[in-house]
Amino acid sequence: MPIVIGTLLALAAIAVIAYPFLGRTRYRLVSETFVTREKLRAERLRIYRKISDIEADFTSGDLTEVDYQQQRDLLRISAAEILREEAGSKSSRAERDQELEKEISRLREKTAQSPEGGDTL
Amino acid sequence: MADLGVMALLLGMALSAYSVVGSVVGEKIGMAELVVSARRAMYMTLAAATVASAALVNAFVQNDFSIKYVADHSNSLMDRAFVWVAFYSGNEGSLLYILLVLTLISVISIWFAPKRLARSMPWTIAILAAIQLFYFGVLAFVASPFELLDTVPLDGRGINPLLTHPGMFSHPPLLMGGLIAITIPFAFISGALLAGNYGDDWIDVARVLAIIAWGVLGAGMLLGAWWAYTILGWGGYWAWDPIENVALMPWLVLTAFIHSIMVQKRRGLFRMWNVALLNIAFVLAQLGMFINRGGPVVSVHSFAASTLGIIFMIFMLVSLLFAFGLFLWRMPHLKSDRVMESFMSRESAFLVNNFLFLAVMAVTLWGVLFPLFSDLARDVSVSVAAPYFDRANGPVLLGIVVMMGIGPLLPWRKASARSLKQWFIWPTLTGAVTIGTLLALGVDRPIAIFAFGVVAFVAASILEEWWRGTAARHRSGDNWAMSWWRLVNGNRPRHGGYIVHISILMLGLGIIGTNFYQQRTDGALELGQSLVIDNYRIEYVDNGSSNRPDRIAQWAEMSVYRIDEDDYVVEFETARADGATGFTLEDSSMRANDELLGGIEPWHGFYVDFNMASVRSGIRSTIVEDLYVIPRDFLADGRVSLAVSINPLAWWLWASGPFFIIGTMVALWPQAAVERRPTMKKIQASAEGEN
Repeated sequence: MPIVIGTLLALAAIAVIAYPFLGRTRYRLVSETFVTREKLRAERLRIYRKISDIEADFTSGDLTEVDYQQQRDLLRISAAEILREEAGSKSSRAERDQELEKEISRLREKTAQSPEGGDTL
Repeated sequence: MADLGVMALLLGMALSAYSVVGSVVGEKIGMAELVVSARRAMYMTLAAATVASAALVNAFVQNDFSIKYVADHSNSLMDRAFVWVAFYSGNEGSLLYILLVLTLISVISIWFAPKRLARSMPWTIAILAAIQLFYFGVLAFVASPFELLDTVPLDGRGINPLLTHPGMFSHPPLLMGGLIAITIPFAFISGALLAGNYGDDWIDVARVLAIIAWGVLGAGMLLGAWWAYTILGWGGYWAWDPIENVALMPWLVLTAFIHSIMVQKRRGLFRMWNVALLNIAFVLAQLGMFINRGGPVVSVHSFAASTLGIIFMIFMLVSLLFAFGLFLWRMPHLKSDRVMESFMSRESAFLVNNFLFLAVMAVTLWGVLFPLFSDLARDVSVSVAAPYFDRANGPVLLGIVVMMGIGPLLPWRKASARSLKQWFIWPTLTGAVTIGTLLALGVDRPIAIFAFGVVAFVAASILEEWWRGTAARHRSGDNWAMSWWRLVNGNRPRHGGYIVHISILMLGLGIIGTNFYQQRTDGALELGQSLVIDNYRIEYVDNGSSNRPDRIAQWAEMSVYRIDEDDYVVEFETARADGATGFTLEDSSMRANDELLGGIEPWHGFYVDFNMASVRSGIRSTIVEDLYVIPRDFLADGRVSLAVSINPLAWWLWASGPFFIIGTMVALWPQAAVERRPTMKKIQASAEGEN
């Protein structure tokens, strides 16, 4: 029995790691654009968090009104700049995605015509 | 089951190796399928480690004494509840436990890793898989828990009696889990550096993972101290033993890290410093593994010296070279473009507190390694004992507590003279009044009085922070409870931190009380006699013994009375004239003001199979002090030899635990999505307006 369980475990492991090569799903490495967009979003959320923190500091009396407004304005400007970058990144991403789709279609057509019939992506 | 365990370990090894190679090669040549496959291999290592662990547990449950590890750490009489303890009570089993934890937290952290770290994840996975490969390899070839015996014994040796205590269900697993958990934030940061991601993308992940490792390690140490206090029967809870120290050192560095990471989050400073801190914590965790696995420093806790020592030393050195090699390589990219504006700022206070934490770590490290250096220099291994650590670390630890009060009162960036006066006046007054009151009450020990003053100062600073924030919210219409809740909820990392600070203050009270004001006495009592110390009389009422399957047990029944010193004036004067803190009473008849508080039953057991004695002290614990009665020996003439101590404020040591855990959980609890806040809508609106 232990040998059977061990063999099943080994077979399951082989199946799981082989699936990306053999299954229908096609994978691609995460694009730089996607990562940049995620980074910008995270940075924007961090700025929002900072604004929330300085609001709490101001409410508690840890910050003077002048300091609070100064810091808040600087953070808002940073957030606005990031939003602008994000907007730019999205439009260029759409263009790149379109180009990528065209390339995938071209490669699929080419693959279908090849004698081996394998995936070449 | 041994076959299944071995198969699972070999499979895990192969999967880890594949994950390392697949991740790196897949990323380098841009082959997405290989990267995905390597990631899935990583997930399957959890299955392999789980099956290997299940095989060992099953062997314990089935009393399969053909497996050496099972025969060495259990027997047929062992309560099944102790299978969990027996699993990690030996060298091989504890390594398997560590591997199981490592694979589990690796898989969880990879599964939930933020998308912005996608490019660095193959590197992170490669680092984690390489570390797993090491553990799988050690378990498969050097320290296998599935080694078979040539001759199967009829019964096993049994579980180490010192481990049959509730504290053992959680203390070792938490300590080992905490140490290995440091690997995860280290792998995330190192992965980011290898991928050339030099920004702050890893901050939130590293912070959360480091706090988890820190909280688990801290809880493990506290439980260990409680276990030592209640079961080891020496009246203490922290002995600066090398194994205690190797858990403390990475915890100290992680404590520095989780403070300075807040500076990086809030002000964009200390990026390089934070990477260095996490590297140090990781390497110290490897040092802990090395010393615990037959390293060169002798400890009552460590496993027997074996070839594992040299293997873990090599692994520690490789970890050191990798961590700091990578750090030095990427250092030019880690410099922050911002500067600290003023010494009187919160970030500056955090930096000072970081240096103090590192100072305690360095002193402790020197104490741990001193026997090695003395051996090299003079050919004699000289160990340093508790007084060295107490004298060297005591003042620095007090400095850390002072900074715990100062830091939160200082604002970010810079403080004005007005704000300093405004925020410091009440805490300072509270500290001063505490010191004055203690002096007026005639309390002795100036250092302890100052330390109580510091604790009061920090407590007042936290309460002042909460009072100001709560009152501000209360003015807007909420009731007091809701106002406080909103304050805490609004910034959980900060206020969770304050709750942890409260737990540290409670711990501080216990440490001050037990270190400065402990009273001890000893004596041998016949039945009917009493031992008197301070305002307690302990009467020896009865005794008994029993032969149990695993031990020969002897117990003493004792009644504890609260006494009035005026009823015992003559005896106290005689004892004090002899320089003693307590005395033995031949006649235990009640005196006018004697009040029965209750009974205690300390016992003494001798475990024949282990040739080991175990003592369970009788403890009567109150919020003010513990009466701690150690039955040293049951003498042949029927007397019992006792060591009795009064440990002031010891209760606070253990009461700090729940606060520590709650505070850590509050600090970890995810904040609500800030994008939904009205303020954010305004920002977006203003940004759109600019566009």
